[in-house]
Amino acid sequence: MKNIYFKRYRRQELISLIFDFLAIIAYITIFLMFFRMIKLPLGEGGNVDLGALAYPQVYQWTFGEIKSETVNTVLTLMALFLVVAIPMFVIGVKKLKNGLIYDVDLPMTWAKFFQALISLLLVNPISFVIKLISTFTLLRVVKDYGFIGFIKNIPSRIKQLFEKKPKEEKEPEEEDEDTIRLKKNISRQNFRKLSRMFFTYMFLVLIALFIMIPFYWMVIASLMTYYESSVNPNPSLFLLFSDTQWINYKTVLQELNFGLYIKNTVIVALVSTAGTIITTILAAYAFAKIQFKGRETLFSILIMTMMVPGEIFIITNFITVSGNGFGWIAMGTGNNHYFLAMTIPFMTSISYIFFLRQSFKQVPDSLYRAARVDGCSDFKYLTRVMIPIASPIIFTITILNILGAWNAFIWPRLITSTGGTEGQQYWLISVALRDASFNVPGGDRIMYNLQIAASALVTVPLIIIFLVFRKYIMNGIGRSGTKG
Amino acid sequence: MSKIKDAFWAVRNWFKKINSKITDFLVNHKMGFLVHWPDWFKALIFLAPALILLSIFIFYPIVNAFKLVIYEGYNQTDNTITGYTVFGNFITVLNEDNFLLPSSHTQSSVMINTLIIVLISVPISILLSLLIAVALNSIKPLRNFFQTIYFLPYVTNSIAIGLVFAYMFKSGDSGLINRMLGWFGIDPIAWVSNWNNNGVIIGPTFWAAMSVLIIYGVWQAMAFKIMVFLTSIQGIDKQYYQAAEIDGTPKRRIFSKITIPLISPMIFYIIITSMIGAFKTYESVIAIFGDSGAPAGATYTLKTIVFYIYDYLNNSTPGNLSLAAASSIILFAFILVLTLIQMQISKKRVHY
Repeated sequence: MKNIYFKRYRRQELISLIFDFLAIIAYITIFLMFFRMIKLPLGEGGNVDLGALAYPQVYQWTFGEIKSETVNTVLTLMALFLVVAIPMFVIGVKKLKNGLIYDVDLPMTWAKFFQALISLLLVNPISFVIKLISTFTLLRVVKDYGFIGFIKNIPSRIKQLFEKKPKEEKEPEEEDEDTIRLKKNISRQNFRKLSRMFFTYMFLVLIALFIMIPFYWMVIASLMTYYESSVNPNPSLFLLFSDTQWINYKTVLQELNFGLYIKNTVIVALVSTAGTIITTILAAYAFAKIQFKGRETLFSILIMTMMVPGEIFIITNFITVSGNGFGWIAMGTGNNHYFLAMTIPFMTSISYIFFLRQSFKQVPDSLYRAARVDGCSDFKYLTRVMIPIASPIIFTITILNILGAWNAFIWPRLITSTGGTEGQQYWLISVALRDASFNVPGGDRIMYNLQIAASALVTVPLIIIFLVFRKYIMNGIGRSGTKG
Repeated sequence: MSKIKDAFWAVRNWFKKINSKITDFLVNHKMGFLVHWPDWFKALIFLAPALILLSIFIFYPIVNAFKLVIYEGYNQTDNTITGYTVFGNFITVLNEDNFLLPSSHTQSSVMINTLIIVLISVPISILLSLLIAVALNSIKPLRNFFQTIYFLPYVTNSIAIGLVFAYMFKSGDSGLINRMLGWFGIDPIAWVSNWNNNGVIIGPTFWAAMSVLIIYGVWQAMAFKIMVFLTSIQGIDKQYYQAAEIDGTPKRRIFSKITIPLISPMIFYIIITSMIGAFKTYESVIAIFGDSGAPAGATYTLKTIVFYIYDYLNNSTPGNLSLAAASSIILFAFILVLTLIQMQISKKRVHY
């Protein structure tokens, strides 16, 4: 009987997840639609007037004119909706995949009920109704009654609430000194335990605040006006929805060219990661499975170079890629190939070879010998057996490498700084963050709102990737113990 | 459909037959190594892509750094030198203003800055993250949540967050930190910039600017340490704790007599690696204080060793690359000493 209801619950859950997903797509569409609507204010001569960013504007919409405050409110709402809806959706999918009937209990029913309420807050009435229904299906699994039984129970429950509980009249027990002392001791211990718990959580919350404050302030400051962020001696710590300046992001992406820098960074990250994966897999396989003379010596030489600081490499690599070497950066004479100079030196990594070799070594050698007897070549064995077995670790390496490329700063900056304005077209985001001018036009005060908005543009994708692939990233870093 | 399949198999078999015939022929004529590659040859093919890249961009630079250091007046554009010297470049670097010794009492030197960062931020971050790891280990609900939050700084972009820190520590009332200090009745502190009453930039005090760097360093460095400490604490055998509980040992004693000694190898490893990491501080300085490596108007410098190396690199005067090589070899020497200490002690395994 319970099983039938549990199956029904799973079906309802699936439907509600589909509607959640549709809602997420709708939020994204609305967000993009309104974000496209924002137009940068033009000054005299058709150039963008950064000084006029904060003035309220009226935008053209297909359904008539719309005020910038309304647009900002809608954008903030959609962003908040997405922040709540996407994690809820991901957790829901995971629960649906791994959920068992044994996990169902009363707290889970309550959780479902609150999820339904959240769906209502997210303006998603269909999901709300389906989740309410599935709450009562869950109730049937936990207890024997469903919706009708729940309604019927309400009067008796209310009665129970108002009925005074009969006081239990206790006979005063005869207590000797030992019992009293013991009781005192127990209550003292309980108090100590509780207070210790309290202080532990207080400490953890304080540290969490210390960690989170920069992120909070980054988001708030990136949505401020120039006056509020840079001039006002008393900027408010919160923002009203209508005061959020999403135009900052538009300015950073369009006028300050961060769209281009993000594109550059993505290209560099993908190309160098593809190269890294290929070279490290091949090398790690050779170090793990193929017997040859001097294998251990060669490997320990590789490990030893890991402690050499990167600055030593960079000095010579700078010569290697410039005129006297490969000529990828011409320093003013001839053609520049910045992308080559930014990707090829990073197409392999000793720490990843080390990391992959460990996991390749865990595959028993007998498997290898059996495959060889059956006439399987080394390359085939690598692609058909080893890579599928080690795929979680390869995936971890991929993510770590992409994160590393996204944060690359020193080398790209050195490379592009030689090229003047042409080099600027090849900036990666970290370089642009440091070197792009966020100053007020014609002045030397920094427009902090734009600078921090650019920082947020760089940080938010990182945080999303981290939250989605948390397990892989934390496992990978914990095991390899090296910085990406 | 079946005909296509048959044709496919026929072609395949034909190829196989030819292949095996060639193999037989070669093996019979003592040229088997062409078909059955020896292991070293296979290894070479698998290793080739990685080894070529490594030898160009890792091995050669290490050799070349020691070559550059003995050049005098190396000119990068036409690849010429004016002479050779053994210790000349090291001596130039060490005698350089503000490298080893500050040039005047108002100044600070590169080496002093680096040592301050290493000796202050490393102990603070290790102590804090040890406490956090123990606290995290003692709770059950919300542990994953806190762990995720504490790990966030590890994956962020150090330039982006450095800019945010510079903004948070903005001088005057408007900076977030100064406002928060104001709630406790503390006067605003000039952290990263300072003006006198006439509006002339005079720069904040050395320790105010340095403390921003240290706070940022601690904020960034804790993530990795907390994770390592937590995993090693969780790896401790539960029997020790049960035995201590039966004996009624107070918590503080359990911490100092069981937890600390049992994870001491890990603590030692973290001390060494984070000291190495702190020696390489660069991006936080450039994110907060920019290319000058000091607050505007300051009479001191906040440059670190790595900052100095890149200063040489960015400035293309002949001979500068040799000086960069010399200073990076000095940095390498520090790291080498630390690594050797670590290897020596981890051989003995620190316990108790």
